Amino acid sequence: MDGILLGLETALQPGNILICLLGVTLGTAVGVLPGIGPTATVALLLPITFEFDPVASLIMLAGIYYGAQYGGSTTAILLNLPGESSSVVTALDGHQMAKQGRAGPALATAALGSFFAGTVATVVLAMFAPPLADLALKFGPADFFSIVVLGLIASIALASGSTVKALAMIVLGLLLGTIGQDQFTGVPRFTFGVRELYGGLDFVSLAVGLFGLAEIIRNLESRHSTELVTRKVQGLWLTRDDFRRIRMPVLRGTALGSALGVLPGGGHVLASFTSYSLEKKLSKEPKKFGTGVIEGVAAPESANNAAAQTSFIPLLSLGLPTHPVMALLVGAFIIQGITPGPNVINDEPELVWGLIASMWVGNLLLVLLNLPLIGIWVRMLTVPYNVLFPAIIAFASIGCYSIGLNAWDVFAIAGAGLLGYFLIRWGCEAAPLLLGFVLGPLLEENLRRAMIISRGDPSVFVTRPISASLLLLAAIIIVVAVLPSVRKKREVVFQGEDD
Amino acid sequence: MSTDTGVGNGAGHSPAPFRPDLLAGGSFIALGLAFAIGGARYDVGSALRMGSGYVPIALGGTLVVLGALVVVMAFRGGDPAIRDVERPPVPWRRAGLLVAAILFFGFTVEGLGLAPTLLVTTFLAALAAPEVKPVRAALTAAGITALCLVVFVALLQLKLPLLGDWLGG
Amino acid sequence: MRRHIPLTSLACLTMLTLAACGGGDADPAAYPEDDITMVVPFSAGGPTDTVARLIAEPMAEELGADIVVQNVEGAGGTIAGGQVADADADGYEVLIHHIGMSTAPGLYPDLAYDPLEDFKTVGLVTDVPMTIVARPDFEPETLEDLVSYVEENADTVTLANAGVGAASQLCGLLIEQAVGVDLTEVPYDGTGPAMTDLMGGQVDFMCDQTTNTASQLQAGKIKGYAVTTPEPVEALPDLPTTAEAGLPDVQVGVWHGLYVPADTPDEIVEKLTAALEVALEDQNVVDQMATLGTTPVPAEDVTPEAHTAKLEEQIDLWTPIIEESGVTGG
Repeated sequence: MDGILLGLETALQPGNILICLLGVTLGTAVGVLPGIGPTATVALLLPITFEFDPVASLIMLAGIYYGAQYGGSTTAILLNLPGESSSVVTALDGHQMAKQGRAGPALATAALGSFFAGTVATVVLAMFAPPLADLALKFGPADFFSIVVLGLIASIALASGSTVKALAMIVLGLLLGTIGQDQFTGVPRFTFGVRELYGGLDFVSLAVGLFGLAEIIRNLESRHSTELVTRKVQGLWLTRDDFRRIRMPVLRGTALGSALGVLPGGGHVLASFTSYSLEKKLSKEPKKFGTGVIEGVAAPESANNAAAQTSFIPLLSLGLPTHPVMALLVGAFIIQGITPGPNVINDEPELVWGLIASMWVGNLLLVLLNLPLIGIWVRMLTVPYNVLFPAIIAFASIGCYSIGLNAWDVFAIAGAGLLGYFLIRWGCEAAPLLLGFVLGPLLEENLRRAMIISRGDPSVFVTRPISASLLLLAAIIIVVAVLPSVRKKREVVFQGEDD
Repeated sequence: MSTDTGVGNGAGHSPAPFRPDLLAGGSFIALGLAFAIGGARYDVGSALRMGSGYVPIALGGTLVVLGALVVVMAFRGGDPAIRDVERPPVPWRRAGLLVAAILFFGFTVEGLGLAPTLLVTTFLAALAAPEVKPVRAALTAAGITALCLVVFVALLQLKLPLLGDWLGG
Repeated sequence: MRRHIPLTSLACLTMLTLAACGGGDADPAAYPEDDITMVVPFSAGGPTDTVARLIAEPMAEELGADIVVQNVEGAGGTIAGGQVADADADGYEVLIHHIGMSTAPGLYPDLAYDPLEDFKTVGLVTDVPMTIVARPDFEPETLEDLVSYVEENADTVTLANAGVGAASQLCGLLIEQAVGVDLTEVPYDGTGPAMTDLMGGQVDFMCDQTTNTASQLQAGKIKGYAVTTPEPVEALPDLPTTAEAGLPDVQVGVWHGLYVPADTPDEIVEKLTAALEVALEDQNVVDQMATLGTTPVPAEDVTPEAHTAKLEEQIDLWTPIIEESGVTGG
């Protein structure tokens, strides 16, 4: 507890509050640009932080990170342009809400859910960092393979249409994820000799194409400009009913996100997807998911933010980055003359606890900053669509290009846009594909690694307790998911109507 | 998970196969084959040391099977989730303009530089709007270009050349 | 070219007086008149990026121009190499690259550039030692134990590395060659995940830069056997050198150097070399490098001559080793 007090003392110094405010503001402003997700935002703004002393610089960097995450959700909700895997899920129902004129409540839910989750996760971080970090080390390749399998199985629920098509989209996503250099052998796969593709397809390009560009083409199906997306704005704030509906999803999302965020090697990726799937499973009206239900925004946003917070645990207690943004932070630590590692919490208590406490301060500032801004964001939707969509194309192209100066990242937007447009037209939804794409490399890597370590013995997946219980859970989900849909199908046949 | 394959569902609902499912299933089969055949060019390896081709072949094969199921669905009345949804004609010209705009950006941003490339890209994109006149599209393009330059170059200080080699920048 | 045109040219642009806005001819005597881009072939936050950012600041101060660090990742650093090889030879685009510069010809048969022909060397920066480390409960206690243990259990011992062409993989190849065994290599996507699994006891041992291992060793979270340099490392006094501990052939350091395109005027290269020399004497740089378990190279190595000699020697060393092992970058 001394630690938290020390941290609050540090974080609440006026100078540090100001730095934190600066960080979240900059992070939000850049993160809201289409095509620039949180990782890119942190990379872009990293040099600014070198000007400050270590504590201030890390507070600012962390502020940029969750500011960018919030900014990314804003773009996902308003424009259907997710900038990172976590906001893909937010776009599903968030953008539908925006189309129905409920962008305000969607944004407010994202802000409040994130704040609540951030607060809880900060406490988790402060109290349980060392034991949770040890738990994270217990996760071997076989366990990670199994949790990815579980995540993929759960993600079938992301689609509101046909299960077979959702499965096919997941597999297609997994396949797209194999493009690039095979890290086990160095062989470039499906790159057709293009060296720029060695690093694989860019996630942001794919997401911007599949969601953003595909949506624009779909909107342009209208013949006349008057038919284009008439967006009404109905109220900016949550209704009493909204509050009642988001309560449990926020709690569950926070719990799930806090747990998954700790896992090394990409647990945070799973947080928003699994929490969405969980809510859909628990909901009395699962069919409404995907059409603009507020639970579909509240759960993944809370999970995502909680995971973002607890993913600091391996970094702060072990010096291990579990997320690209954490890797950037490691660099920042070193440049500030601090060696990240297991000793940092003892050697630099003021820094570590100050950073932890500042996360809570930052989340608070983020809410205060963003709630009044909602009105302005929502007004952005009243920009005539004839102007809005060319601007989105321009911003997305620059955003995707500027990160790696790689023209192929831009070409990928066009390809993904066409693919997305037609697949959606044929009843195949894009979200499972994106999840498959993100998890594909993790699935393959850990499968191959686990098999190498076990010397080719596949029983490792069922003899390791963690892996076995995860696979068991996956099996249960399949059974639970398939049984009712088989039963439902009978009813459908008898009633002669569906959906 | 609302609806499932049309196995046994609505058989005889319509005599002709449902086109969107046919196309979707066909695409999945084609893509699955492409990845599997492409993957077969790489070393497949063994279960202990999986080669580069192992996973693509396995997944490609899975996609072919799933694609086949979707094709089956097409012949059994189609996917109920989209069977009765109205599908307006594909806006080929507009989609083409958008794709051209993005490809133009990718091909020329390094050679021409950010400013001229953006002007053309946004102009092409703006032309895709319904009932738009070229003059209006040009104005839109100029405005968006200026905005982008302010945001990305002036505010964010992105190190992108405004004018590229081709223009003697 | 990617030289950054100053903001004032925004005004020219709106008038579309394109030709008038072009950058003037570079005058080597006036260099630098503009921001310099330092291209890092790896992701922001990685060890090479850290070294780049550390020296960029004092170098910028000495040169009197901003140095902007740009991360151009991919294909083992060869994309960045290709970019700078093709850049204008005016000193405004500088590449920092490590040992990968000398292994690329072996790893990538169709490499788009020649490390010796297409660049001028500016000078060496630092030579990061590597350490042979193991999971905390791994049986062998010393390097000698490790060698005999590995010989006896070659079938079951697992050797982690950070992926194709990574320094950890190269060092691993050297160890396998020196001991005369073929071990099961477990590749990871970068050093972080590899270290996680080493600490968690999922893999047996690896060889990695002090940048990544020093703090974990000091905290006793992993076991250390030796450093791969001729001299002991100050930050890790308990570790013998490989020569002392019985594997004298395992000598490898992650050396870093600065490069400019081959046609860059010598006058500009001299200015860069001079600035690098000053930067490496900067107390802050020395201190920060010390926390990473490394030091700046001695002053006599901060020259194009010493750098070129090192590059040639390393290409000759690694190319046959890589070819023999059958490792390829594609």
